[in-house]
Amino acid sequence: MPFVFTPIPLQLSDFSVEYLVSIVIVTLQVSLTAVALATVAGVALAVVVGFTEFPGKRLVESIINTGMGFPSVVVGLVVLIMLSNSGPLGDLQLLFTPEAMIVSQFILALPVVASVSLSAIESVDDSLADAAFAAGGTGRDVQVAVLREARYGITTAILAGFGRAISEVGSVLIVGGNIALNTPTGERVSFTRTLTTAITLEARKGEIETGIVLGVVLVALALSVNALGNVLRERGEH
Amino acid sequence: MLDAEGVSYGYGNSNGPVVRDVSLSATEGEVLGLIGPSGTGKTTLLRLLALFDPPDDGTVRVDGTDAWSLSKEQRTRTRRRIGMVFQDRSLFSTSVAHNAGYGLAVRRSWTERATDWLAGLVGGPSLAAPVEDALETVGLAEMADRSARSLSAGEAQRVAFARALATEPDVLLLDEPTSNLDPRNTAVIEEAVAAARDRGIGVVIATHDMQQAERIADNVAVLLDGTVIERGPADVVFESPSDERAQAFIDGELVY
Repeated sequence: MPFVFTPIPLQLSDFSVEYLVSIVIVTLQVSLTAVALATVAGVALAVVVGFTEFPGKRLVESIINTGMGFPSVVVGLVVLIMLSNSGPLGDLQLLFTPEAMIVSQFILALPVVASVSLSAIESVDDSLADAAFAAGGTGRDVQVAVLREARYGITTAILAGFGRAISEVGSVLIVGGNIALNTPTGERVSFTRTLTTAITLEARKGEIETGIVLGVVLVALALSVNALGNVLRERGEH
Repeated sequence: MLDAEGVSYGYGNSNGPVVRDVSLSATEGEVLGLIGPSGTGKTTLLRLLALFDPPDDGTVRVDGTDAWSLSKEQRTRTRRRIGMVFQDRSLFSTSVAHNAGYGLAVRRSWTERATDWLAGLVGGPSLAAPVEDALETVGLAEMADRSARSLSAGEAQRVAFARALATEPDVLLLDEPTSNLDPRNTAVIEEAVAAARDRGIGVVIATHDMQQAERIADNVAVLLDGTVIERGPADVVFESPSDERAQAFIDGELVY
């Protein structure tokens, strides 16, 4: 059947503002938590790899870089297997919860944060490390100085990780289940429904207008977080 | 105070040592000009003196003690009596005040640094007296709040000089500090070198600029192919060098 697009009047099916807000909250909760964890782990990984020489370093670097392009549905599948009742982490009972989505977004964002941070650390000119050392810095001081020089790149890494997390749909659909609950008062609230999975659902139902509204909200969120990151980055230049 | 004795150093490649069997001393209140064409090992020699790397052969002594026989902590304390300024731009992308105060900051404990940072947030930036003095010496005290990135090459080099000076070192190692600078900035640095010497600091300045060496050095050592071929009081060496190649270099005939 041909699809008929009627832009006006805007009909958002049975979509209440409260429902939309609950989706936004779940989306931000999951992605911000995942990125916060990925930042801690990813920057730590970049520091370890960036500041030490060890056999197989190139291999580790290329694994991290490959991870950036890892298909999210495959990550979702692996997390699903791990968290399913018969899986090794089944006892945690995390499947189809926001925590499961945090796990999969963490896995997706980690290589992005680590890889971009690592290249930021490695691109700091040796002359600055030398300057820190010559000024009386210890090895630790030199590392801190290099990290400080890499701070713009690391901010970019965190923003890129956030972009990867919040725009991701495949894995959260698999491990989160795109669940919305009905409250006793008949209100719908998101449990594991994010903006991306909600858009998928609305589009499949043919609720294109609702999908577009959700899409605009998603893009606005992504842009706001990026704008905030850029403001921080510019303020940090002084 | 700082002596190299028969030091050699190579970068582990087939080209052989870059510095070969060099002995020299940085003496209190004296400027030693290390002159020679580019690529002759001046930078490597200064890095050995600054205790970046141990020499392959020979010893680097500080007050008579082999610096590489010390523990890492002791060596860090020893290193902190030596200041160094590099040829290339070497400022952090922070404020001028932070750059100039960096050497003093790393000498403080992490707790003290955290306290300093908090105090800076609450009370605004403040300059420690030695940092202010050092910036004053290079004529940039009024630029303390500026971003280091906004500086010209000359100003940046003066801040790098102030960073080394602020730690009140016993020895200053300067690696072609004015090779990319205009005459005015060069003059400021040269005056600062003279001021440092007058305060009793021993200065070793690598330069390929003969006139500069003549202007500011008390003694000179001519380095060629990683080894000292001529040394002595500046006026004597420039007037009548005993080594033919040193003569050729001083006359500008030695081309690399």
